[in-house]
Amino acid sequence: MNHELLQGKYVRLTAENPEVNASAEARWWQDSEYFRLLDSESPHLWSEKKLKEWFEKGLEKEDPHSFGFSIRTVEGDKVIGFVALFALSWKDGDTLAAIAIGEREYWGKGFGTEAMNLLLGYTFRELNLRRVGLIVFEYNLRAIRSYEKVGFIHEGRIRGAMLREGKRWDWLMMGLLREEWEARQKEVV
Amino acid sequence: MSEDLLRGRLVRLTAESAKTLAEPYSRSSQDSEYWRLETSDPARLFSVWNTEKELEKFLEKEPKVNEFYFSIRILEGDVQIGDVGLGVVSWSSRDAFVGIGIGERAFWGKGYGTDAMQVALRYAFQELNLRRVTLNTFAYNPRAIRSYEKAGFSHEGRVRGALSKDGNRYDVLYMGILREEWAQKEEK
Repeated sequence: MNHELLQGKYVRLTAENPEVNASAEARWWQDSEYFRLLDSESPHLWSEKKLKEWFEKGLEKEDPHSFGFSIRTVEGDKVIGFVALFALSWKDGDTLAAIAIGEREYWGKGFGTEAMNLLLGYTFRELNLRRVGLIVFEYNLRAIRSYEKVGFIHEGRIRGAMLREGKRWDWLMMGLLREEWEARQKEVV
Repeated sequence: MSEDLLRGRLVRLTAESAKTLAEPYSRSSQDSEYWRLETSDPARLFSVWNTEKELEKFLEKEPKVNEFYFSIRILEGDVQIGDVGLGVVSWSSRDAFVGIGIGERAFWGKGYGTDAMQVALRYAFQELNLRRVTLNTFAYNPRAIRSYEKAGFSHEGRVRGALSKDGNRYDVLYMGILREEWAQKEEK
């Protein structure tokens, strides 16, 4: 049994106080590229105070259908993003996943990929779920490659779901079953 | 997939209003034998008014994701005779606790409770996709123990002398059924 569920080589998953999350997100949201890679809503800005209240409300609810973590680097212990499970269905053993790396200098270096893999270990080995799904925008090639690396399979495409800068963009649906992920862990080791 | 999940051979599981349940619940609280078979708490009495108030609070609060509560009605005559509830103890381990009570004495020992338990188990395994269902019962309730055995529960443990009634100590029995055991029994 591996008890180091939340600790990787480059990153670890953590719980942060609302002030820490709020100050980080407030900064990341100023980066409209970050926002457009993450969210289908138009980029908008929230004050640190509003973000802090939003995080506090979320923590008070103790929602059994979502699990959120911050991502900290092992080297330097810096908060660089978040990973989360949401819309979890316990009876079906199914959930959606989300991830974002807010600190640009950590893009494209494998930090997100490792964080996602930690989240998958938590999902399959601790929560004992059967499937993880996600949605990614077709123009987010870096994310798509990262998801493919941890084993996500392309499952579907919602054509033209999003209109940005006069162009229609597809949403890609990807998914990963527990057996597929487990088989991959053996290969890696 | 088309069968009625909440209907058994003799009973069906229903949702009832506080008004419907208040009178029978209040009446069962007067029945100290029922009380001792149903719960380890000391017997207490509840008026209809008090019961209705409590039930309203219980039934109207936002349903919890881990609680599934049903009333039991017999098919013949559509009489409300008791209740059965599942409480998921752990979703990640897929284990639930089940509790059942037949408040109406006229319907004791006739298989209605066993049938209701079988419907509850089918709901637990087919709909909630659980792996096991657990219950506890009291050593002095042989009718219930026989009913649980009939429904497929195995004896798993015994908390010795956990109950003290009338100056005697009684054991609390733990019983459980695994998904595979239930599926095997269904096939027969």
